[in-house]
Amino acid sequence: MNAIEVTRLSKTYPGGVEAVRGIDFQVEAGEVFGLLGPNGAGKSTTVGMLTTTIKPTSGSARLAGFDVSREPIAARRVSSVVFQEPVVDRSLSGRRNLEIHARLWGVEPHEAVARINELAGTFGLADLIDRPADSYSGGQRRRLEIARALVSHPRVLFLDEPTVGLDPRIRAELLEVIASLRNRTELTVLLTTHYLEEAERLCDRVAIIHAGRIVALDTPGALLAGLGRQLVELRVDGSVNSALASLRERGVAGEDAFAVGSRVTVPLHEQSSGDAIAAIHELGLAGAISAREPTLDDVYLRLTGDSLAAAA
Amino acid sequence: MSTAEIAIPIPRPRPHALGPLATLARRRFQLTARTPRELFVPLLTPIMFALVIAPALKTALHTDASYESIVAIGTVGLLIPLNTMFSGLSVIVDRISGAQPELLTAPIPRGLLVVGNLLVALAITALQVGVLIAVAVARGIHFHATAGGVLWFLGAGVLFTVGMYGLAEILASRVPRQEEYIARVPAIAILPWFLAGALFPITALPGFLTWVAKFLPLTHGLALMRYGLLQDSSGLHAIWGMSDPAAMAALSLAVVGGFALLLTAASIRVFSRAAVR
Repeated sequence: MNAIEVTRLSKTYPGGVEAVRGIDFQVEAGEVFGLLGPNGAGKSTTVGMLTTTIKPTSGSARLAGFDVSREPIAARRVSSVVFQEPVVDRSLSGRRNLEIHARLWGVEPHEAVARINELAGTFGLADLIDRPADSYSGGQRRRLEIARALVSHPRVLFLDEPTVGLDPRIRAELLEVIASLRNRTELTVLLTTHYLEEAERLCDRVAIIHAGRIVALDTPGALLAGLGRQLVELRVDGSVNSALASLRERGVAGEDAFAVGSRVTVPLHEQSSGDAIAAIHELGLAGAISAREPTLDDVYLRLTGDSLAAAA
Repeated sequence: MSTAEIAIPIPRPRPHALGPLATLARRRFQLTARTPRELFVPLLTPIMFALVIAPALKTALHTDASYESIVAIGTVGLLIPLNTMFSGLSVIVDRISGAQPELLTAPIPRGLLVVGNLLVALAITALQVGVLIAVAVARGIHFHATAGGVLWFLGAGVLFTVGMYGLAEILASRVPRQEEYIARVPAIAILPWFLAGALFPITALPGFLTWVAKFLPLTHGLALMRYGLLQDSSGLHAIWGMSDPAAMAALSLAVVGGFALLLTAASIRVFSRAAVR
C-alpha cells in the first residue's frame, strides 16, 4: 500500500484562483518525496489538503489508506506536520510542547516520556528541553518542531519548506537533521521546497510543480539525465529563436534546447562540449559561452521557461 | 525454505475525548497563567465600579446602602463580558503566533479546541467573580445569600459566561487581526451593560430601550444574580411582570441557557469552518 495516494486533486480558492489543478502522484512507504517549485506553485496548498486544513475542490487523497476528506481524523492520526512558519507555544517549555502533541495523538504517557527524552537527545535538545521555547534560536526551534512531529511515530511526515527564512549555518545544520530522517525506514516524508539542492540531496523522487500542475516527476538523477551529461549555455545578442533554429539546423542542438530571455541552453547528449562550443563560434552566435553539468534548475527552466531561483 | 517476520503495525487506540480535552484545557490554562494581563486587566474596571463609583453614586444620589450591593452584582455583568472577550483575544494570538495550526492537524474533533478554551475561560471568570465578591464583602457590602440563592447566582453566571465566550470565539474566528477584534469589544462587552439594569432598573430607561433591554441575555443574567444573592426580584419583575419570583427566575434562566447553548453551538461551527480553507 502506498503511504500517500493523490488522484486528480484540485483546489480553487474563492475568487477563482486555481492553486492546484488536478495533480496525481503516489509515494511509497519509507520514501522521501519532494514537491519542488517556486512560491505560489501550489506546494503548500497540496500539503494543506493532505493535512486536512484545506478542503479539496475535487479529486481525492489518501494517507496510509485513509481518505483525507472522508476520514480526516484517521488521516491526521497517522501523520504529522512541520510548518513553513514557526508553530510552537513559545511561553511553554520544549518538553511541554512535545507532551501536548503526544497527548493529542494518543501516545501513552509512559511511552511519551521515553520518546521525548530519546528525541531530545537525537536532535540535540537535551540541555534545552525544559526551557521556554521562546528562548530557543531559530534552528533550535525548528529542531524542536521536527522532534515534536516525530513524538507520535507518524507514518507520514510533512515538511513544508522547513528551511525557509533560516540563515545558511542553521539551514545546513537542519538539512543534516532532515537527512537523518532517511534512516527511519518506517517513515514516509513529503518535503516541499524551492531550494534545488535540498531536493537533490534529500529526496528519492521529486515532483516539479508549476502553476498548480506537476510538470515532471522522477528521481533527481533521472530528471537530470534527461538533459545529458553536460550542457552549453550562451547569451545571444539578436533573436533567440533564430539562434535556436541555426543551432538545430547545424545539429548542435536538439529539440530539448531552450531559451529564456537572451540565454540559450543546449543539452549535450552525445557530442563533446568542445565540439559544440566550436560549432557555436563558427555560427557567430554568442559572445559568452560556458559548459557545465545540468542542475534541477535547468530541468525546471526547460519545463516552465522560468528560473526556479528567480521564481522563488 | 526461509521464513520472514512481518511487523504488523498495531493501530493506536482512538483516544477518549476527555483526555485531549483535558490536555487542551491545561495548555490554555498554562498559556493564560503566563499572561497576567488576561487575569488582572478585566478585574480593574469592575472593582473600580464596585468600590469607588458605587459608593460615590450612593452618596451623591442619597440612596441607601443596598445600592452598593446592587451595583456590586451589576459589576459582575461587566466583568464576565470583559473577561470572556479577553479570552477570545488569546484565540487570535494563538492562531497568528501560537500553536493553533499544529492543533488543527491533531486527530481530534476541532470543536474540542473551543470547549477546552471555554473551560479555562469559565474557571478564570469564576476566580475573578469570587475575588470581586470577596472584595465587595471586605468593603462592607452586604449580600443575603441562601443555598438556593447561590445556585441561582451560579447558574446565571455560568450560563452567561458560556454564552459570552461563544460570542468571543465567533468574533475571534471571523476577525483576522487583534486590532479589529479590540475595536469591537466596547460594542459587545460594555454597551449592553448600560442597558441591562446594571446601575439602575431597566424601567428607568426610555420605553423602547426598556423593550430592547428585555431581550438582552445580560438583563436576565443580572436579574437572576440579584435574585440569588440579594433576594431582590424587582429586576425579574421588570422583565416578566409576573408575581411568582421562582417562575420568573426559571424563565430567565431558560433565556440565558438558550443563549449559552446557541452561542456555543455556533462558535464550534464557526471555528471548525474557519479552520478549513
